[in-house]
Amino acid sequence: MRRLPAGLISLAAGAVAWELIGCVADVPFFPPLTTVLVRLAAMVAGGQIVASLADSLVNLVIGFVISLALGLVTGVAMGRYRKVEAALGIYVYALLTAPSLVFAPIFFSLLGEGRGSIIAVVVMYAVFVIVINTASATQGVPAHLVEMARSYGASEAQVLLRVMLPAAAPMIMAGVRLGVGRAVTGMINGEMFIAVVGLGRIVTQAGGRFDGASVLAVLVVIIVVALGAVALVQAVDRRITRWVPQTSRGDQ
Amino acid sequence: MIEIRGLSKSFVGQDGATVDALRGVDLDVGDNEFVTVLGPSGCGKTTLLKAIAGLAPWNEGDIVIDGAPVRGPGSDRAVVFQNFALLPWATVLDNVAFGLKMRGVARAEREERARSLIAMVGLSGFEAKRPGELSGGMQQRVGIARALAVQPRVLLMDEPFGAVDEQTRRLLQEELLSIWEEHRLTVVFITHSMEEAVLLGDRVVLMSARPGRIAEIVPVSQKRPRSPDVGAAERAEITGYLWNRLREMHQERR
Amino acid sequence: MRPERRLRSALPYQILTFVVFVAAWELFVHLRGGLLIPRFTETVEATVKLLGSAELWQAMYVSNQALVLGFLVAVVVGVPTGIMLGRYRLLERFADVYLNILLVTPMAAIIPLLVMSVGFGLASRVILVTIFSIVMVVVNSRAGVRQVDPSLIEMARSFGAGEREIWTRILLPGALPAIMTGIRLGLGRAVTGMVIVELLMVSTALGGLILEYRGLFKAPQLYGTIVIILAEALLLISVARWGERKLTRNRSVR
Repeated sequence: MRRLPAGLISLAAGAVAWELIGCVADVPFFPPLTTVLVRLAAMVAGGQIVASLADSLVNLVIGFVISLALGLVTGVAMGRYRKVEAALGIYVYALLTAPSLVFAPIFFSLLGEGRGSIIAVVVMYAVFVIVINTASATQGVPAHLVEMARSYGASEAQVLLRVMLPAAAPMIMAGVRLGVGRAVTGMINGEMFIAVVGLGRIVTQAGGRFDGASVLAVLVVIIVVALGAVALVQAVDRRITRWVPQTSRGDQ
Repeated sequence: MIEIRGLSKSFVGQDGATVDALRGVDLDVGDNEFVTVLGPSGCGKTTLLKAIAGLAPWNEGDIVIDGAPVRGPGSDRAVVFQNFALLPWATVLDNVAFGLKMRGVARAEREERARSLIAMVGLSGFEAKRPGELSGGMQQRVGIARALAVQPRVLLMDEPFGAVDEQTRRLLQEELLSIWEEHRLTVVFITHSMEEAVLLGDRVVLMSARPGRIAEIVPVSQKRPRSPDVGAAERAEITGYLWNRLREMHQERR
Repeated sequence: MRPERRLRSALPYQILTFVVFVAAWELFVHLRGGLLIPRFTETVEATVKLLGSAELWQAMYVSNQALVLGFLVAVVVGVPTGIMLGRYRLLERFADVYLNILLVTPMAAIIPLLVMSVGFGLASRVILVTIFSIVMVVVNSRAGVRQVDPSLIEMARSFGAGEREIWTRILLPGALPAIMTGIRLGLGRAVTGMVIVELLMVSTALGGLILEYRGLFKAPQLYGTIVIILAEALLLISVARWGERKLTRNRSVR
């Protein structure tokens, strides 16, 4: 039997099933695949998707960049200085596992009904996983490399920048990858709660109209965005961690 | 060059008991002298080296180098590490230039110096490779080049050939001898191999454990330049003596 | 030289962080004030009062129905599914694509579809919580079965074990720690699902309270409700972690 990629076969089978069930069932919440694709094309042509997508991406990018900056700094501080880890550790773990959307009403009351609240939700979703992974990565930097650097006169800043950060990069990138996925979720959830701009808003509106085809069309776009963001991060990951020997590279 | 007086360091071990890593160590190392430090594990030889390097604190005593007391790492000393401690993501060139970069030397100058040292240790052509692509022996050559690049007055070597196979070790010993002939530095070289200690050193500092202290200093008066093939018998005598002393120490411990 | 001192306890630092947080909160309210941001003391007061009110517990009862039922369905359906995927490679290769997509997709976007198809009742809430929770359970159960040492299966076969024995004696016990991890993570996800339901789908109970307090500008009660939801989430997750540790204490072979 020829080695065909199982994933593709599976997706193809799923697409066929979607089409068949959709046609047979004939319900508003499960339109056939072709209907959804046609609707998607129409929405793209009509400009609704593009505008909302742009809004969503702006929210995502700004929120993610803030998460990255906060996450890296906090994570490195926690990894390098025991006292910082002692002070912040349990709070970071707690906030990581807690349902982040529960803070949305708070942001809403603090930042109003606008982009700021959505971005705050994105940060809330993404930052903690980045902190945890960065802290763990920083702690795992081989002590002898730090010692070597100090023996050659490296200042604290040089140790952090030239030794700890590059050494921790592979594991940090794993956290960043997880963070991107969570950021996309935060973006959508935030936009659905604070229905002002973006893809989340269209989904909610379409749902209110009982427009199943539009909901699924936007859902397709959302999934593509999510997968695309993760793929982008993986590409950056591969570039940054080119030096890691093949045997120890985990491809998850 | 190096004066050590009454150096003592102790710490509380895992079981709560106090361990004397070093107690009352006195040692003088002269200019351009090659001193090897030998002893069983736990005798404090690595602690001693790290203290001289300024990487580890101590409880009592002084270490003075060329009149200046040791307060931390300094540009007058450079360390070669047992497990190489190369930055795995950096090229050979950047690794060799690392110490210079930390001292703020401009790029053009430090790359030029790095290249000449890479040539000296016989790794020309490997400047763009990463440590993962090199053998153990080559990696340690990079480590030695890095140490020499900062032009230290004292070279501190912590069992530098312990992590490579014997054939590579012999090659590295010969290369180190010839490098030293050319650039006479003060060297403190830690090893657990008696043959190596006698081959390389002007004096062998024999240490014993619990507490860590200097048991004896054995001079090796063989003429330089040394070579593994010449004067082996003479060295074997000293090696035999050292082994007897070490065996006594091991037996005492039982 | 900076010696690494062992921290005796993290508690003082944790308390310090909390104090700083509260101080910053009070300062912020002092500077910005307004109806929308309650003070720390007001929030604590409101929280305590809420905990004594029948209204809150009624809401908790209703909202948590979706949590409990959804979680149970996720475990009852998810664990066997994950185990099957782990055992039968062929199945897994086809399912893998969908699992990867599900792991990245924001499940909340499915809500409009659910509402359209199943309505606003308990069923749709339970379904959403199940969807949130089940992926974690499946993925971890699958991983648990996959990491069982194949040589153990071979060994069992060599002693004449049939498929049933392999399941009960080798696979299930070996996969149990990972399955418990999946259940624990699944509980966390189920709680998240419940919150999503309350905030985005149908504000019956807790979500309804939040909307009401927000609409009436009753900020302390709003924050209080959020604190209580957070507390429940953290409590459940802690219990799950404790349960996981208890049940898998002596099982892993190290």
